[in-house]
Amino acid sequence: MRKRRWFGMALAAAALWAIVMEPAAWAKILGVQGTSFQLVAKQDRITLGDGDSVLMWGFALGNGRMQYPGPTLIVNQGDTITVNLSNALPATAGNVSILFPGHDVAASGGVAGALTREAPPDGTTTVTYTFTASRPGTYVYHSGTRPDLQVEMGLLGVIVVRPTSPTPNSACPPVPDGHNAGPDPSLCVGTKFGYDHEDTAYDREFLIVMTDMDPRVHRLVEFGRMDEIDTTNFFQTVWFANGRNFPDTIANAQVPWLPTQPYNAIFLMHPGERLLVRLVTLGRDPHPLHFHGNHIRVIARDGRLLSSAPGNGPDLSFERYTVAVNPGQTVDGLYRWTGALMGWDIYGHAPGDDPAPYEFLGDHGANFPVILPSRDDVVFGQLYSGSPFLGGEGSLPPEHAGLNVGGGFFYMWHSHTEKELANNNIFPGGLITFLGVVPWDVPLEAE
Amino acid sequence: MKPRSAWGIAALVLVGLCFAAWPCLAQLNLMVQCPADTDGIDADGDGNPANDIVCKHITAGDGFATMADGTVLYTFGFSEVPESTPPDQVFAQRQVVAELPGPSIVLREGQELYLNLTNVGMINRPDLFDTHSVHWHGIPNSGSIFDGLPESAPTVRMGATFPYYYATQGKEGTYFYHCHVEVVEHMQMGMIGHIYVLPRQDQDTALKNSGNPPFAGFAYNDGDASTGYHVSKALQLAGFDSRFHIQHIGIQNLPFAQLKDDYHFINGRGYPDTVNPDPLGASPENNNHPAQPLDSRIQANQGERILLRIHNISTTHLFTVRVLGIPMRVVGLDGKLLRNGSRDLFYETSSLTIGGGQAADLLLDTTDVAPGTYFFYTTNLDDLINGQQDRGGLMTEIVVCPASGCGV
Repeated sequence: MRKRRWFGMALAAAALWAIVMEPAAWAKILGVQGTSFQLVAKQDRITLGDGDSVLMWGFALGNGRMQYPGPTLIVNQGDTITVNLSNALPATAGNVSILFPGHDVAASGGVAGALTREAPPDGTTTVTYTFTASRPGTYVYHSGTRPDLQVEMGLLGVIVVRPTSPTPNSACPPVPDGHNAGPDPSLCVGTKFGYDHEDTAYDREFLIVMTDMDPRVHRLVEFGRMDEIDTTNFFQTVWFANGRNFPDTIANAQVPWLPTQPYNAIFLMHPGERLLVRLVTLGRDPHPLHFHGNHIRVIARDGRLLSSAPGNGPDLSFERYTVAVNPGQTVDGLYRWTGALMGWDIYGHAPGDDPAPYEFLGDHGANFPVILPSRDDVVFGQLYSGSPFLGGEGSLPPEHAGLNVGGGFFYMWHSHTEKELANNNIFPGGLITFLGVVPWDVPLEAE
Repeated sequence: MKPRSAWGIAALVLVGLCFAAWPCLAQLNLMVQCPADTDGIDADGDGNPANDIVCKHITAGDGFATMADGTVLYTFGFSEVPESTPPDQVFAQRQVVAELPGPSIVLREGQELYLNLTNVGMINRPDLFDTHSVHWHGIPNSGSIFDGLPESAPTVRMGATFPYYYATQGKEGTYFYHCHVEVVEHMQMGMIGHIYVLPRQDQDTALKNSGNPPFAGFAYNDGDASTGYHVSKALQLAGFDSRFHIQHIGIQNLPFAQLKDDYHFINGRGYPDTVNPDPLGASPENNNHPAQPLDSRIQANQGERILLRIHNISTTHLFTVRVLGIPMRVVGLDGKLLRNGSRDLFYETSSLTIGGGQAADLLLDTTDVAPGTYFFYTTNLDDLINGQQDRGGLMTEIVVCPASGCGV
């Protein structure tokens, strides 16, 4: 039975690959794929979670608008990558350049700078950076010219390098010990790899770029008071995930009212799926990101697998419930959730019911352990379905937003330097994102 | 282990009666849920099949803590309701008695916890109608309903009680809990507490006896006694921004953007209060109830191993901590044994950086340590303060006695 299904899947997968599964065609992370990128430094504005509008310098793709963070460049291991930079910032901004930490870069054109070749603010001069994306992983890029100011102003972005091997396939996630089998294979999104080892397999991937801001600096730039800028007394009051403050982080991507902040940060998955989470900090402070729901297994730092020797896979990986990512650092982790060992059946099954895909069988049919208080005794969160069960829906009080249609479990992923959960003096805000675990009968976008 | 169905039915009937009778709805909900452990299964492996269900009744409310320089600051916090408290006295006796940290919850792996949270309101801020919650920070595979997140769960109003339930099988390790409602404010105000799960391996007498002297317990189910200890202490690193607390009791706008702690402490106290064995903070403002019952002084005999369960729950600071003169071995992080398959990832260090929301298990081996007093402190030296007082803050003492003991 099992073998036949595999054979069919292999056929289907072969056909699929020919059409859509070209390498790197499976990016859920929003970004731009290719080997050659035209980046233009431009001035524009972003909107903060408290409604403030702030002047920014950032990278645009060619004729597009500047965006914060800059375009996520998604490339394939082994490719020669060319980034052409020109500088359309006002003259007061001065020259701009790009550093690519973790890569061996050749730069040409433009003018010589302290760290690399720079593009003067004439809008036309082009600096060309060339490097080979030799190792898979998560990397950053940012300005290498007066970076204390220019990175704060938004000249930053992320590079994802996809491995050439192993080859993505259409398999469902493996079944952990003590769990029910997976769903119909047609529901699975397939297996991809973060690094060149089988133990870095994942089904979905997410990117969280954590940044911070002192809006006073941006005001001084806006008013042309460049001489008064002193980045030594920097004091952040705004924090970002993927260039947005909560609650904008959980709005859709590419909404028209945030034209320069195209990336969002809300994630959905099914129980049993494996998430590759790429964490990046670009700013002044380390951000300890806390994962509600489960631990995350840290498998790589700065584009290098935590491995004792080539071929050993992430054998130096470890689990954490809060991962502190230092400025300029990237951390990759694998996250999975099945609800195991909770002590009650999270689906509300009776003992004779069929178990759900990837359900932990030890708790199948186990009673819900408490009697929930009356609705008058509590306040329902906007993301509470009214039922404690996964996929359940209960009655909701009047005025409840009813945002949780599929009966998912929603987990906050947030900085645990809790003051970063505010937009200036307004709570909640800042560095908050959500993961939603939804039952398998709620379809999710393929990647 | 599972709630008895008879109990469940009885409780349902009670609730049903309440719904049927109007006066019930107008009354406080103080229903504490605590099923009896009558299943005959010894889930925690300690030889007693009737002690596997742990019930706690805690309150969330306000109070006042006394800093090491004498400053009394307004707080929110948890407090445990003694079993002897009659239900109609819970509000009368348990308001304005907040503790910092909240009641420590220590479980044996395999036990189940029924944690009943009653919101007794913030009497000194009658303008507030905040709900409260318990978030067991980091528990593996949590369910939204018991995660305490106000966005994805019900959170309990003033005058009502919410039952949290947690199974601990496979979840041994160092955790902590806090209120997740208005989380920056409520954590900064002090709604933070210890929670940790002792490993099943603690029931293995032979493995305990493999230590010399025999181990008191283990940090994790390591299988080889490598996390065995003789003395253990849980240390909560946190802090207060006094201005936030002063503006809070003054009913002023709260300075979120400017938050920066100026009192740093371990288990709610700055040095030298950390080494005072007595319960502290029994100010008239806190109804003469000790706001800060936990000390942080550590004492061991030479040759013994000390386990430090550390977590940072500061809302503003990452800390680097050190023990001057005693090497530290990191054996666990964030509630997990630091091991990948059969490969130990333990490491020795003289400094450990720990961010907000992180935990670490440190083993201190005193075998080659001369008897004397050693300091555990933050190497962020400007955090060794109690407000304006320059010597204090995040520091405590480890006393190593001769192998024969310090005497009494």
